[in-house]
Amino acid sequence: MKPDPYKPVKAEILDVRDETPNIKTFVLKPEIPIPFKTGQFIQFTVFGEGEAPFTPSSSHFETEKFEVTIMKAGRVTEKIHGLKKGDAVGIRGPLGKGYPLNEFEGKEVLILGGGVGMAPLRSLLLTLLHEKEKYKRIVLLYGAKTPDDIVYKDEFSNWRKMGAEIFQSVDRCETGKWQGKTGVVTCLFDEVKLNPEQGVAIVCGPPIMMKFGTLKLIEIGYKPQNIFLSMEKNMSCGIGKCGHCALGKFFVCKDGPVFNYSEIKDIEGIWE
Amino acid sequence: MWFISDENFKTFADEISKEYTLYFPVLKETRYNWKKYQKDDEISLDGFRTDLPAKYFFYATQEELRQKEKTPFAVLGMRACDLEGLKLLKKIYLDEPQDPYFRDENLIITADCTDCGENCFCTVLGKKPYAEDGFDLNFSRTDGGFFVQTGTQKGNALIEKLKELFIKATEEHKYSVSRRREEILKKVSEKNNNQEIVLKELGEKIEKNREVFEEFSKTCVSCSACTNICPACFCFFLSEGAKGKIRYADSCQFKGYARVAGGANPRKELAPRFKHRFLCKFSFRPQMQEYTGCTGCGRCIDGCQGKIDFKEVILKVYET
Repeated sequence: MKPDPYKPVKAEILDVRDETPNIKTFVLKPEIPIPFKTGQFIQFTVFGEGEAPFTPSSSHFETEKFEVTIMKAGRVTEKIHGLKKGDAVGIRGPLGKGYPLNEFEGKEVLILGGGVGMAPLRSLLLTLLHEKEKYKRIVLLYGAKTPDDIVYKDEFSNWRKMGAEIFQSVDRCETGKWQGKTGVVTCLFDEVKLNPEQGVAIVCGPPIMMKFGTLKLIEIGYKPQNIFLSMEKNMSCGIGKCGHCALGKFFVCKDGPVFNYSEIKDIEGIWE
Repeated sequence: MWFISDENFKTFADEISKEYTLYFPVLKETRYNWKKYQKDDEISLDGFRTDLPAKYFFYATQEELRQKEKTPFAVLGMRACDLEGLKLLKKIYLDEPQDPYFRDENLIITADCTDCGENCFCTVLGKKPYAEDGFDLNFSRTDGGFFVQTGTQKGNALIEKLKELFIKATEEHKYSVSRRREEILKKVSEKNNNQEIVLKELGEKIEKNREVFEEFSKTCVSCSACTNICPACFCFFLSEGAKGKIRYADSCQFKGYARVAGGANPRKELAPRFKHRFLCKFSFRPQMQEYTGCTGCGRCIDGCQGKIDFKEVILKVYET
């Protein structure tokens, strides 16, 4: 029998952290290490219940265990949110192609994130910071709907200490407890001086944010081939066979999930 | 190149069935369907393609993905259109990482069409009603028996093993087969008013067209008959349930097919969903897998509840 790419590796949940009322981070230790590259994804199996794709949110330099940050958004994620420390789950992966870090070297790296879209970007950020001397500058612009929807709340100050320049906004704040900028994430471009012609930008977030974020990047001078997007699709097999995650001629699971904008900009409905 | 007499052909089938589960097409009224061979079954390789594609011998419409004993199977009388579809399926399923459940322990024996089905249109795509490569053996009807070509080592070995059933083909056999091939090619072409399109141009025209798909999709009820019955459609859904992983045949024509968690769906509207199938077949797959996802078998026309004529759609796009 050939190796079975549909068979998950067993993993133990070492810890569960609440990020927001509907987002949790799970720390997983697979029986056999899954040495992923940042930006690659995994299929998370709740045995007997369902399977769904997620991109790890931890640094790829951490190999024994990894983290996934999951928003409750449907049937499978609801089951996942019911899991506890010590439970066994299944993992298939790593799958797809991650961020092309070699293309980022020596450059100003701008990370543009929205909401739970910060999950793969946290993995990227931590991976970049691990070798920060390789990059000219690491800038994070992060927006969330409200202060309560911000993920990794306690980590931002640490990331700053590690060398990232960070700017944050919230779309709205009704409680008055938000001291920072209010507005959609693109308003943060007014706060920071960037060098778009020489820089690379990485975007992940809800579709509407990815659309306007990308258009803004183009407007201020980023080249389409230097904008990298993590595309969210309903990957099922994860290995380029089942057809579910079709994005134009691409299978997101195999040809992505990271694409540069010039590869996909002409495909109809990419933001839907 | 070999010749097997009608008499020896019967023994040939018996011999194959000792090693393989053997499937062959049988005529029921005016249509062909697959049958599992049992001793004394009469096999005729005349006619055109079956109602159901051969692809479901290679994977099932629904199957539990766990190790099970595989029994090798042989398909005797597969048509060129099914073989074309199989080339794409193999590219998808056997590309790394390989799908270990795709059944490639098999023997593929194709047969030339001797007749044309009501909706057959392979010639419109520049394809032929007989196979030229990709088979283990190919059987072409000729006087008193079949002209046999080998396409693989497996095919050669089989002839070697059963060599008392075969004689070397003569120039006469060869000539007779080329005449018959010309005739059937002419028949299918004429049935399709000798129309032929350039596939690459079709792909580009599909990309740019909207109106034709809006017009023809009006009677589509997203039932998925077209994709289920297509020899080149490969999509499935991998499910996790009480029995572990199960693979179900799926269809891009279902409304929920492309929906992601949270509800976003790039093809929730009928017309773009309908068009996606044409894009996949004539633009995406040729670009990425180097095979066209349509073989001109016309089964989707047979199966359409909305009476949508696939050939008419592509010709209309092509001529626009």
